Amino acid sequence: MSLTFDLYVARRSWAHRVDPRVKLLFVVLGAVTMILFSNLLFMVAALAAVHLLTASAGTPRDRFSWVWRAMLPVNVLIPLLWTVFYPEGEVLFRVWVLRFTPLALARGLAVAARLDTIALICFFWLFTTDQMSIVRSLVKVGMPFEWGLVLAISLRYLPTIYGLYNVVADAQRARALDVSRGNIVTRLKSYLPILVAMLISALRTADQLGKALESRALGLEGVERTSLHEISFSKVDYLIAAWLVIAFAGAVVLRALGLFTHPWYPLA
Amino acid sequence: MPEIVIRDLHYSYPPVVPDGDPVSVLRGIDLEVDKGELVSLMGPTGVGKTTLCLALNGIVPRSMGGIFRGDVLVSGLNTREHPVPTLASKAGVVFQDPESQFFNMTVEDEVAFGPESLGIPAADIAERIRWALSVVHMSEYRNRSPFQLSGGQKQRVAIASILAMKPGIMVLDEPTSGLDPMGKSEVFGVVHELKQRDDITVLLVEQEAERIAEFSDRVIVMDDGRIAMTGTPSEIFSQIERMHGIGLAVPQVSELGRDLSDETRTFNFTRFDEAYASLSSAATLEPSGKGADG
Amino acid sequence: MASDTIIQVRNLWYRYRDDIVALKGVDLDIGAGDFVAVIGQNGSGKTTLVKHFNGLLQPASGQVLVGGHDTRKVGVGALARTIGFVFQNPDHQIFCATTREEVAFGPRNLGLAGEELDGRVEEALHRFGLVELADSPPAVLGFGMRRKISVASVYAMRPRVFVLDEPTTGLDWRNSMSLMDTVRSMHEDGHTIILVTHDMKLVCEFAQRSLVLRDGGILAYDDTREIFKRSEILKETGIEPPQIAELSKRMMSYGMPDDVLTVDEFRAAYVGIGRSLR
Repeated sequence: MSLTFDLYVARRSWAHRVDPRVKLLFVVLGAVTMILFSNLLFMVAALAAVHLLTASAGTPRDRFSWVWRAMLPVNVLIPLLWTVFYPEGEVLFRVWVLRFTPLALARGLAVAARLDTIALICFFWLFTTDQMSIVRSLVKVGMPFEWGLVLAISLRYLPTIYGLYNVVADAQRARALDVSRGNIVTRLKSYLPILVAMLISALRTADQLGKALESRALGLEGVERTSLHEISFSKVDYLIAAWLVIAFAGAVVLRALGLFTHPWYPLA
Repeated sequence: MPEIVIRDLHYSYPPVVPDGDPVSVLRGIDLEVDKGELVSLMGPTGVGKTTLCLALNGIVPRSMGGIFRGDVLVSGLNTREHPVPTLASKAGVVFQDPESQFFNMTVEDEVAFGPESLGIPAADIAERIRWALSVVHMSEYRNRSPFQLSGGQKQRVAIASILAMKPGIMVLDEPTSGLDPMGKSEVFGVVHELKQRDDITVLLVEQEAERIAEFSDRVIVMDDGRIAMTGTPSEIFSQIERMHGIGLAVPQVSELGRDLSDETRTFNFTRFDEAYASLSSAATLEPSGKGADG
Repeated sequence: MASDTIIQVRNLWYRYRDDIVALKGVDLDIGAGDFVAVIGQNGSGKTTLVKHFNGLLQPASGQVLVGGHDTRKVGVGALARTIGFVFQNPDHQIFCATTREEVAFGPRNLGLAGEELDGRVEEALHRFGLVELADSPPAVLGFGMRRKISVASVYAMRPRVFVLDEPTTGLDWRNSMSLMDTVRSMHEDGHTIILVTHDMKLVCEFAQRSLVLRDGGILAYDDTREIFKRSEILKETGIEPPQIAELSKRMMSYGMPDDVLTVDEFRAAYVGIGRSLR
């Protein structure tokens, strides 16, 4: 049974070859750029651009639909709430006490699109960078190795915990545990046998894992940890990084000039 | 000097409940294992076999606390005087459950982890990975995810990831415990390979008497926190009553030998071919006057 | 020998979510009071098959009848009255603060209470030698004890059928034997035993019948003795017969039978040859 919860899509695209730190820079600068602006058209254009970018990295369609499904609550609720609670500008019609204003809708959609774009930028990073590279890049940027290890292990154990839940739930159901009966309190309590057994198992596994890590000489003092796969910048990476910084600077200038701040009129 | 020297080792775990008593596990262990030997360790569940394994790389007592008395030397290093990571590169320990020994997404990364911790240069790491995977016959799985492997394959990768640190001592704590017969064969096959290498000393904790009898240089039996018996497989498995008394199995052929023995002849079998050779020889098939009637 | 069928499997197919077909049209009858070992490599479908018996898995197509009830129509909870499932890892079940509570969990879920519940629990504790540990927390006990506790807690539910998934993994010889002796006595009391295991010595010693699975299908289902006679079957599934069975087969040219399963049988047969050669 395949239990890997792995966002990474193994391909040989240009994006995969870029140094993970450059991609991380893209995530940071990209997110900030999106926050600087508020114009709906800008957001939609940015969203489309990031889509193209991610697609050019060989990302399959099912990943995209996964992202869109995940973002559905955001995309529905935010425009709705904005329109309901922050009407502004010209009112098209009224329903009871609610005033429907296109401007508020535009603002709401812009906010949703902004979040979509930021999310997709992050996923672009995750889709094109395998876990170890992510950890290595963060370590190179200054994160302590142990933190990176914790991150990698947590990611690796997510499917294991999910699998553990299923196994333990089966084992307890086989002892006639019924989690569907009764009111909400009874039901929550009936999950206890599953959760406690899971917790104890997980603690045992954590203990074992700790011993296994120690047995692989983790934490050897006085010796600098090496890496089988060294990540280093190539010329292309420098170029891309430089381009990102310039583009970001340009974005800041545009913002300072007040462009793309109005939800509807780009040049206001 | 022997690769492993244990002198009068006593160890108690910290209490299980806050105001309880320390749990005494090892009560005076003396042991020496020479370089290149393959020693099998048998004992009832809970007697302290795993504790002994952990004492070899210092996890006992450094990471476990507790009360530790006596000396443990691995490749000449006293475990009191060196930190666990240093000792781990001398005495590599492979545990029972392959699932909880993996934390990387590819076999290659997994096998690289130990050498990386030791600060081995990248080029050398690559060579070590190639070598370690070839010893365990897992070279084609280099880029696979450990998740996709069978139990036997996982354990072999676990062994490779310890081998890659090039320890002089390999400690295997019930490595075949949860595996299916094919997996068990695969792992025992690797143990055989390790045995061929004079530069690797192996301490194997196992329950499968038949297998142990086939390839061990020596068998050590623990009981009640001490070493109760030590000797060649033949010496140990001929003491059937004593082994059963401790709660341990002996090879089926050993039991057979005892059952067929009578006043006229004694049969002492440890290994399959011994039993076959002896029982199929004409001398045995023609019994003497007194028959051993069942 | 009781021969009313307690578990009936008809053309059972099962597929996991990622399209791996685990069971391919399995047909099977297990009689009440049988002791059946289920053997085969990992991935052959053993655990998948037995999980259908208590409804943890539902057929993709085909039918599983337990005590006459279709498992698709009866819930896991109800099937738990008939089928007691002991999982491979006792730590997947243990969660209580005392052994007594742990053993009481199952029967309590089935609706027992008061004196009847206490009686069941005491009986189970006695049968498995757990009386002294009744007030200890199971989670901190040794593995052998935790194994016993998990079996006892299923036993206390008094199911007609016990499914034991690799119950002796990780146990030393004495604990294995003691557990299997208790299982044998449960069998003698009339329970049906289904034992999934890799330990061929146990199969030869305890199981009357053996079900050999390979690649999701039944390779053979027969008396254990018959199965172990047929070396080709065993070779196909990578199963190694116990050392003593192997030895006997090797000595067939000397007159040893081809169906020796235990040391005792070998001895008797060998002595028999000796006598006949006089």
